[in-house]
Amino acid sequence: IFFSTSRHTMDKSITLPPDEIFRNLENAKRFAIDIGGSLTKLAYYSTVQHKVAKVRSFDKATKVNIPEAASDKLYEISVQEEVTARLHFIKFENAYIETCLDFIKDHLVNTETKVIKATGGGAHKFKELIERKLGLKVDKEDEMTCLIKGCNFVLRNIPHEAFVYAKHADSEFRFQTTQPDIFPYLLVNIGSGVSIVKVESEDKFERIGGSSIGGGTFWGLGALLTKTKRFDELLQLASKGQHTSVDMLVKDIYGGSYGSLGLTGDLIASSFGKSATADKEFSKEDMAKSLLHMISNDIGQLACLYAKLHNLSRVYFGGFFIRGHPVTMHTITYSINFFTKGEVQALFLRHEGYLGAIGAFLKGAEEDNPNQYSWGENYAGSSGLMSVSPDMNPMQRARSGTFDMLEMDRLERQLVNLPLLQDPSSYIPDTMDLTEDALAREYWLYCFEEALDGVVKRAVASQPDMPEAAERAEKFRQKYRHKLQTLRHQPL
Amino acid sequence: FFFVGTFCISASIKTINRHTMDKSITLPPDEIFRNLENAKRFAIDIGGSLTKLAYYSTVQHKVAKVRSFDKATKEAASDKLYEISVQEEVTARLHFIKFENAYIETCLDFIKDHLVNTETKVIKATGGGAHKFKELIERKLGLKVDKEDEMTCLIKGCNFVLRNIPHEAFVYAKHADSEFRFQTTQPDIFPYLLVNIGSGVSIVKVESEDKFERIGGSSIGGGTFWGLGALLTKTKRFDELLQLASKGQHTSVDMLVKDIYGGSYGSLGLTGDLIASSFGKSATADKEFSKEDMAKSLLHMISNDIGQLACLYAKLHNLSRVYFGGFFIRGHPVTMHTITYSINFFTKGEVQALFLRHEGYLGAIGAFLKGAEEDNPNQYSWGENYAGSSGLMSVSPDMNPMQRARSGTFDMLEMDRLERQLVNLPLLQDPSSYIPDTMDLTEDALAREYWLYCFEEALDGVVKRAVASQPDMPEAAERAEKFRQKYRHKLQTLRHQPFAYGSLTVRSLLDTREHCLNEFNFPDPYSKIKQNENDIALKYYQKAVKSLEELSWEERQFALVRGVLAGNVFDWGAKAIWHLGLIYLFIFFSSERPWLVDSYDQWLERLRGPPHKCALFFVDNSGVDIILGVIPFVRELLSRGTEVVLASNSGPALNDVTNGELQILTERIAAMDPVIQAGLREDRLTLVQSGSSSPCLDLSRLDKVLAQVVRERQTDLVIIEGMGRAIHTNYYAMLSCESLKMAVIKNSWLADRLGGKLFSVVFKYEVPAGKPSQGSAAVTPS
Repeated sequence: IFFSTSRHTMDKSITLPPDEIFRNLENAKRFAIDIGGSLTKLAYYSTVQHKVAKVRSFDKATKVNIPEAASDKLYEISVQEEVTARLHFIKFENAYIETCLDFIKDHLVNTETKVIKATGGGAHKFKELIERKLGLKVDKEDEMTCLIKGCNFVLRNIPHEAFVYAKHADSEFRFQTTQPDIFPYLLVNIGSGVSIVKVESEDKFERIGGSSIGGGTFWGLGALLTKTKRFDELLQLASKGQHTSVDMLVKDIYGGSYGSLGLTGDLIASSFGKSATADKEFSKEDMAKSLLHMISNDIGQLACLYAKLHNLSRVYFGGFFIRGHPVTMHTITYSINFFTKGEVQALFLRHEGYLGAIGAFLKGAEEDNPNQYSWGENYAGSSGLMSVSPDMNPMQRARSGTFDMLEMDRLERQLVNLPLLQDPSSYIPDTMDLTEDALAREYWLYCFEEALDGVVKRAVASQPDMPEAAERAEKFRQKYRHKLQTLRHQPL
Repeated sequence: FFFVGTFCISASIKTINRHTMDKSITLPPDEIFRNLENAKRFAIDIGGSLTKLAYYSTVQHKVAKVRSFDKATKEAASDKLYEISVQEEVTARLHFIKFENAYIETCLDFIKDHLVNTETKVIKATGGGAHKFKELIERKLGLKVDKEDEMTCLIKGCNFVLRNIPHEAFVYAKHADSEFRFQTTQPDIFPYLLVNIGSGVSIVKVESEDKFERIGGSSIGGGTFWGLGALLTKTKRFDELLQLASKGQHTSVDMLVKDIYGGSYGSLGLTGDLIASSFGKSATADKEFSKEDMAKSLLHMISNDIGQLACLYAKLHNLSRVYFGGFFIRGHPVTMHTITYSINFFTKGEVQALFLRHEGYLGAIGAFLKGAEEDNPNQYSWGENYAGSSGLMSVSPDMNPMQRARSGTFDMLEMDRLERQLVNLPLLQDPSSYIPDTMDLTEDALAREYWLYCFEEALDGVVKRAVASQPDMPEAAERAEKFRQKYRHKLQTLRHQPFAYGSLTVRSLLDTREHCLNEFNFPDPYSKIKQNENDIALKYYQKAVKSLEELSWEERQFALVRGVLAGNVFDWGAKAIWHLGLIYLFIFFSSERPWLVDSYDQWLERLRGPPHKCALFFVDNSGVDIILGVIPFVRELLSRGTEVVLASNSGPALNDVTNGELQILTERIAAMDPVIQAGLREDRLTLVQSGSSSPCLDLSRLDKVLAQVVRERQTDLVIIEGMGRAIHTNYYAMLSCESLKMAVIKNSWLADRLGGKLFSVVFKYEVPAGKPSQGSAAVTPS
């Protein structure tokens, strides 16, 4: 139903599968919304009732009194209901905002909630709509503060949040282990424009630079040059183009490399330099590619210079211009490597799209003190990172245009490093990285698939008293099998 | 015909399409490729659109020399003091010509035809186009093309102009009274950052003459503006794109901070009008955007980006001077404005964006210097020849359509090798902040109007004087007429483009006139007048000295000062024959103190103290001034035990006494006056040349020998005399020792400006802060 509607109109006829997207709305509180130029990110906090298996020693007293009644088991097992806290994050295109708000309103039973934290450039544009639809007061939060808060949160709580992109390596993505000390770092947020923020501690950050040449420039100039109005289509064009037909290379000027300056012949001397004098027509693909290179290189250089100027070696890139697009990540990584000769690493974030929403949520939830807990990504409820390379997974691609989810469970106890680790920053728990080892990956995915039937059987058998157990076990089988299939295509 | 150094070669050239190589252009050979006969050491810099040609040539000039009559032949000669002869002198000159690539073949043909000197075997070539045109050049000129590294040439050229051309660098300020604020030449030009914006951008750190490094660069440069601009607007010409941009509104295409946040983003310090995203509005809006708006947005995008990169590299390498060059700049006001704006925004004023008047020539100059290394051009000082150079043009398309058309054709720069090396006066308090000129006419429109009018009014008289100075030469009238046309045209250009040669000042107007006179072989129109005045004044010398000696010490000090002032009334070629009546009139006026600026009491008090160790005296006019005013004053200093260094012009300017003339005059005076004689004999009176041929004085460009003498003798007093040297220039100059500035204001407008009347006296005695005046010692000399 979803996929057939035009994304550019606000189609009210979309019927959302409520349980699957806006989950646990009944107990939802502390809403936060981040409205960007094209995507809306909604966050809320909810409680989830779960069955948990508890074990308990038999009571000495009862044991003595009724020894006959009790078996000779060591301890007793009981299934109890437990309420845990969960964070929900949903991302969808701005086009769906009205429909989504309607849906939320209909399912909001908890009337305790009075305000919704809002951030992002679109917050003031949609303020009135949100207040009218949800009956909640929109409380605007500073965009940059939210972004940084969110970034700190994911870096601290989500293992393998940050990754390095390497197009030609065995594994495109190389994930970083969580660092005990995440500060200081540089955040380069590429939205319509670019903000370059130095983050020194949880509360201390400064926008040290920025640029007007950002995602909006790619989109805007791209639209003018190619008459293609869709951002994703522009990226698709770019991925097929040859920038060398539009750009003037060093060799176009000097007939080869410019050795004394260390400039190789293939280096771009002037972006769009050839279109200045040539009378021919240029293909849309080539122009889009040249534009992408121009912008990515520029941002890369600026990021490097700011990193050097402030002595920062970790640079995270976020914002809609990146949004997991391999072409963009590749050109930015290339540019960073070129300018810093490897001294600075370009790091991307799996959940960069959610940073603002997470931050806004955290601002609102400060009294709950979410930072005192540890949080874990719930793999079952989260969509996961997708390769949005247009050619690779057209199906997945379509999905990215609609809804994407992240769920995080609050862990009962705070988690820290084992103090005896020799070097916490280089510690990697896993012995084998299946993303890098295709053969091993094949083997293990096969193994887990083979074992699935057994696991289902075991699950059903564990709850002999519950007649619907078989049905639930079937749902589990489907979900896990789907995850395995996804992982086969997207090991990341 | 000529057109202020740049040549609209006849009507035909304007109508031809600049994109084709039209061989029918007839160049006015003498006016563009001048002195080709003796040309050697060719260098060529071929850029993406412009070719810059450089060569070294020698110029034969008539110079006026003075010579004492041979003792033996003295009887035969008249009663003149000295003999004046006009001699031919050969000086070295650098020629630089800039023209569009379209003309390259025609120009090469022309050069070939006029190259008589066959000694030249190679031509140094640089620039991106060097390899493209290599074969053509070799075939046409028969010279071997020797390619030189582009960046090395660029830097060499940049160092050369920064060192040799005063007012080479300027700051651009769109909304200031004067668009251009020129920088004085810095004694130390290193280190600096050069941002060269050609097709792409190169960012180069220059640490010394030979040490530079390309520390960064960007592919977003002039080619990007041109290329993207062409795609967006279907306008293929670079200049037209800039013209579009100057009319556009970027706000309709760019997404501003306020478009996103409804206002400013206060917590981040971002104002609402700041561009958040270049072309951000064209991403989603379905409307058509105007060519002008897109071009403007593009210009902003690129200039801001380059500005930010330049700032970051400057900060990273701790550099505060950033020069911008390359064809993207090429004097375009819109571009300079956006880059300046961007630099100011990003560095909050810590880094200044500096532009260069001759940035287009840097590569050619550098290539030339590479080829001329055996001539060691860096050991000399060079001066811009205002007569032969086109000057900087505002190429704002709306401002001067006529000038605009001109820039498309030919542009020239000529530099004369100066006989002697020029350095700073060691006694300047702060050489880096020293500005010789008192009034910047580029900033003061009213003053500019007045002085341009003055110089135009005076032109007829100068022409007459020039003709009269060469009575034996029948073609003098014709040459004088050419001079008149050239200088008048320069004045007209300066009226429209006051910044054509750096800051417009009375000094630059005077110097330009001298250069133009020299150009048409009027090396010293005042030689005979000076000779005459010297003759007459000398006859009164002994009488004057005697009457001074009869005065009491205190009376004498006052009379000596008034003598200098009275002598100075006759200046600037005012009247051919001085008459005593005026002198007396002035003496009457000047006896009325206080003067307009009057620190005579402090001076007198100082004279009661111990003598100065050594006084440096910059003298002014011939005749009464030097002989009856300055020499008696000097005589008194010598008597006090102060050594004196007399600094006079190296070459002629108006009726100013030249070093050659002063040599003869002092000899003659020494013959009459034992005090002067003893001074010369004991080397307590020394004559040095200033290194200048100007009626004004630039203390940052003085003869190296002068600087050396000043240092050796521990000079502790500098005396500057006359309107040109003490009022038009150096009025505010701060010296590290005591100084005395004496002048009579002989121009009612200027007197009015300074709050006085015609013939007001300026007597400015200054002791630098922190150096207590020694007058309090109150030792009255016997």
